[in-house]
Amino acid sequence: MKIVLHGRKIIGGMAEGEAVVTKEPVSFLGGVNPDKGIVVERGHEVEGQSITGKIFVFPHGKGSTAGPYIIYSMAKRKTAPKAMINVEAEPIIAVGAAMGNIPLIDRLDKNPLEVIATGDFVKIDGDKGIVEVTKLRT
Amino acid sequence: MNLTDQEKKMLDGVFGTGPQSAMRLLVTLGEIYGAQRMIPVSSCHVGGRSYLVSGEENIEWMTDLLEGGARFQVFTSTNPCSVDFDQWKEMGLPEELVKNQRRTDEPYLKMGAVPLGSCLPYQLGNLPLPGTHFAWGGSAGATFANSVFGARGNREGSPSVIAAAIAGVTPEYGLHLRENRYGKVLVDLSQLDHSSVSLSDYSAIGSYVGRTLIDKTPVVVGLPKTFSQDQIRFLISPMPTAGAISLCHLVGITPEASTVEAAFGGKAPGDKISVGPGEMKSSYQKLTTTQKEDVDLVCFGCPHCSIPQIREIASFLERKKIHPNTRLWVATSGHLKAMAQRMGYVEIIERAGGLVTTDLCVAPGAPFHLVQGVRTVATNSARGAYFIPGACNVEAIFGDTKDCLQAAIDGKWRAAR
Repeated sequence: MKIVLHGRKIIGGMAEGEAVVTKEPVSFLGGVNPDKGIVVERGHEVEGQSITGKIFVFPHGKGSTAGPYIIYSMAKRKTAPKAMINVEAEPIIAVGAAMGNIPLIDRLDKNPLEVIATGDFVKIDGDKGIVEVTKLRT
Repeated sequence: MNLTDQEKKMLDGVFGTGPQSAMRLLVTLGEIYGAQRMIPVSSCHVGGRSYLVSGEENIEWMTDLLEGGARFQVFTSTNPCSVDFDQWKEMGLPEELVKNQRRTDEPYLKMGAVPLGSCLPYQLGNLPLPGTHFAWGGSAGATFANSVFGARGNREGSPSVIAAAIAGVTPEYGLHLRENRYGKVLVDLSQLDHSSVSLSDYSAIGSYVGRTLIDKTPVVVGLPKTFSQDQIRFLISPMPTAGAISLCHLVGITPEASTVEAAFGGKAPGDKISVGPGEMKSSYQKLTTTQKEDVDLVCFGCPHCSIPQIREIASFLERKKIHPNTRLWVATSGHLKAMAQRMGYVEIIERAGGLVTTDLCVAPGAPFHLVQGVRTVATNSARGAYFIPGACNVEAIFGDTKDCLQAAIDGKWRAAR
């Protein structure tokens, strides 16, 4: 089953891959290990999961304004997600995505945290703000 | 966003990949906040240079920008960092950190930054004028420039400030727009007996206001007739720490707040709070994280100490000795230290066993945890005490200037907390 969602382009570009979805906000500074690409925040819903090469879906960022540096450094080390989808992007995630040139879309016409599940295959056209979801389980 | 031809060229990479990255970042921010256009900035003050905060990632990014042809187009000064380049040995800091701080600074200097190394840029030649637009890192400075000079800028992270300094423009959103600058909540300080309110008390009040209002712009009434720059700084600099306040109308001082009505833009105040001694005391308790007696380090200078503050510290320390197990750091800028030297204050503080440091940040980028034996730090600043435990993994005691100085002499905290 395929679902097509439309949203707002923050950072353009094309990407496709497996989704990692969390309903909890994410802090890259302190919450993600940039060398390994793994979420390390204690007690976080996706603690221990790799986001490298994934389509990372989460509500929005939180935490320090130094967060963008971590996203940038992950892009340089090739441990970053291929693309990110937010419910509502805020400056920490958006600036990091701009620095690392990682496609980012927000404000989709349906709540991505409900429509997309971890493991689904997601195709993104960042420039047009289009997200195509192929469900793993229907 | 509507971009000019020049801005479009920059975004398309005509001027190199450095300016292109800067413009891409600014356009991204502009899109998120719904900005219609870019506006020129006339003053920039860049942070992100504390190696302990921004690390290798910042060096990589700044080097990429530099090699991609980026240069600072507007007057750009620097915020403090993680070391004092002249006194790191006396401070007990590792040489490795000094080397890394030098590597961090290299691209900033090559891009044309003026290395003020202070969070008081407006005392040192970077003074934005009323109605002009600025991009400053360091929320204490940005709040001061908005609230005292009536210049216009947002609280923002380091990357977007660096991008604005390179592109010479910033997206027009938030506090750049007049309609977003009006006050939201009336803050009444008339219950306080101002003749007995100290500098640290004002920072305790500011911290309470920040915690309570979170992101609603305060309009402060009930201030004494004469209110010094230091008092203003201590009152407003903790406001951005607990929340996101970056403009505070001080009625009679802020250019946009000649009257309460002007500050609220002719509308009625949404809410009103009153701050008295109880609210003030709550900040001291909230920001003190330990009940232990031993004080390993006492620091002043968040924000950096002015000459009147250095004078107060020196006059207390005359003919006194700091406890051998306790360190005392008085953080300021190179300019102001030179002045304090000519006035004899540095000699008095050094003779007592303290250090007047330059370029050093004593809050978010501070190196306390790298100094052997430092587990508890006392400070007279609510802003400093907010940052110190999280940034440095040490305990903090927030107290009055005189109590902090007495603790430096006794090696122990004996005042109430």
